[in-house]
Amino acid sequence: MWRHPYGGMFVKGIFTTIHLSLLAWIIAVILGIMIAVFRVLPPRSIRLAGSAYVQLFRNIPFLVQLFFWYFAVPLLLPKPAQEWLYDHVPDYSYWAGVTALGTYTASRLAEQFRSGLLAIPLGQYRAAYSTGLTTFQTYRYVIVPYAFRIIIPPFTTEFLSCFKNSSLTMTISVMEITHTAYYIDSFTWHGLETTTAASMMYLCISGFIVLVMSFVEKKLRIPGMIVRSQ
Amino acid sequence: MIEIKNISLWYEKSHKVLDDISGTIQCGQTVVICGPSGSGKSSLLRCINGLERFQKGEIIVDGISVQHPDTDIHKLRSNIGMVFQHFELYPHMTVMQNITLAPVRVRKKSKTEAEKKALEILERVGIPEQAFKHPEALSGGQKQRVAIARALAMEPQIMLFDEPTSALDPEMIKEVLDVMIDLAGQKMTMVVVTHEMVFARKVAHEIVFMDNGRIIEKGAGHNFFNHPKNKRTRQFLSRILI
Amino acid sequence: MDLTVITNNFKFMAGGLVLTFQLSLITMAGGLLLGIILALARLSSKHWLYYPATFYIHFFRGLPLILVIFWLYFLTPVITGKSLNEFHAAVISFVVFEAAYFAEIIRAGIQSIPHGQSMAAYSSGLTSFQCARHVILPQALRNMTPALVTQAVVIFQDTSLGYVIGLREFLRRVNLVDAREARSVELYLFAGLIYLAFCSTGSLCSQRLENHRQRNWI
Repeated sequence: MWRHPYGGMFVKGIFTTIHLSLLAWIIAVILGIMIAVFRVLPPRSIRLAGSAYVQLFRNIPFLVQLFFWYFAVPLLLPKPAQEWLYDHVPDYSYWAGVTALGTYTASRLAEQFRSGLLAIPLGQYRAAYSTGLTTFQTYRYVIVPYAFRIIIPPFTTEFLSCFKNSSLTMTISVMEITHTAYYIDSFTWHGLETTTAASMMYLCISGFIVLVMSFVEKKLRIPGMIVRSQ
Repeated sequence: MIEIKNISLWYEKSHKVLDDISGTIQCGQTVVICGPSGSGKSSLLRCINGLERFQKGEIIVDGISVQHPDTDIHKLRSNIGMVFQHFELYPHMTVMQNITLAPVRVRKKSKTEAEKKALEILERVGIPEQAFKHPEALSGGQKQRVAIARALAMEPQIMLFDEPTSALDPEMIKEVLDVMIDLAGQKMTMVVVTHEMVFARKVAHEIVFMDNGRIIEKGAGHNFFNHPKNKRTRQFLSRILI
Repeated sequence: MDLTVITNNFKFMAGGLVLTFQLSLITMAGGLLLGIILALARLSSKHWLYYPATFYIHFFRGLPLILVIFWLYFLTPVITGKSLNEFHAAVISFVVFEAAYFAEIIRAGIQSIPHGQSMAAYSSGLTSFQCARHVILPQALRNMTPALVTQAVVIFQDTSLGYVIGLREFLRRVNLVDAREARSVELYLFAGLIYLAFCSTGSLCSQRLENHRQRNWI
């Protein structure tokens, strides 16, 4: 399997998985924070919009969302935009994958951010305000650092999920790890080796991320607070 | 009769929970164990019915060694009743079910027989009308009395009490202590970990003071309170007696 | 927006829904059973039970479901010499995969019961089996129900992955219709709506159960 060109293909697949996941993750974090904030702001309509987003994206399987972005969205665009898309964007499946994964993961992250914010006792806000801090300062110095530490474990789990979900983009022909393994098998009939190698990659990368994150968690732990139960 | 011979218990070598404890509790006697938090009193109690394992020494209950590999620990435990600080009633069962679970499952009694006995015991502790309620509907004092009834349902020879009144509102302490005094009067062998010194004065045959895993002093009721020999004991008593 | 494509092919696509439900139910039953065994193994003090179970759970949680499905698809011809029917392959890989997630939910549920409950049970002479059966498990199951319902919703969505081995469940059928008729927008909106309907109902149930439980437990 390591014979050229398969070895090269495989490595390329790994890189594709990694940068697809990372790009989607960045979109997800930004969008996720926005949605989470929407859900706690005063105006009712904004709150509903936020909840609706989350409900929509959580209750529809990722594969359906992926197909929607890949097959259906181009058809919704006005004709000239469609033409531009088909002619100028060579890797459309990749970008559809990134968008779908980003928006899907964003809805899950929004939930995590929201529960992190809600987990902070009201007393913390009161204490901060009573010493004269403004709302912005309270959030910046007291609330957000606190919430951030609470969120780290579920944050890590979500990133790992995002990473694993990138494998689904193989259905729209993105050449990430799983698809590459499948593809190589169709040439060499060495399906077992390729899938084993693919599994190893996933396990190694997830293992690595878990290790890094537990180190980060230890460094940032708040003494006396049970953030993760063993 | 309970014989405790040189018991030591530790989780790490540097910190011993129990350090060379010895003593004897005669049949029909009430022994009160007191002392500050962390002195190992609750652990000692749990060693008697095998809920905690000690590393050194031996405990012999009515001729049976507690940690001996041949001992049927379940049979032993069915002869010893235990009452906990936080009651530990099963929340998903009614009072009646709480009391009859062990007699039916362990002593293989029929349901009707067990229920009849349960009602008798509930009368003894003063709350027969609560039989078919769930624990959350009861007050603290009532819950603890149900816990005592649950332990008594197995007709034990020995009763162990682990700070039975420490989690109760002051008003409810008396109703539980009354039940315990009643039991002592019926010559039940009792080992009680408590801070209730009035109770101790009334019924205890012997009082044991523990600190940091060791027995600092033991003595018969009157002598203990009026003539404590050890300085640490005196210090403790002066702080808790009004 | 031409909705006739949905009405014309409704019967075909609805047939896929039946398969989806069947797959979900079998996976839930199998996954739960295997999950209980794994959870108990994970909680035991015997090394020969603990390490394999822990390895199993970490292994399957670190892999994407798609890869597990492929594994099975490639592995079975090698071992048994004949290839597997898609439905069976899907069922086996789903059960094996989801069991790891169920095991964690069950383990957390059991560990949430205060230690004092088992001490009280043991002190009246009950054996560990009796204690687990009468005291610990009834309470633990009540606690875990919301999480189990959420996992059921996840399984329902995951059935769509049967797509990759050609299983003719709901999404695959929608996709086939799309390939023929090319009315992607209506079809995928339809698919989305169906899943949305079922899954939000499931999530609402889970929410209700959680609130109900919080109110009745002191």
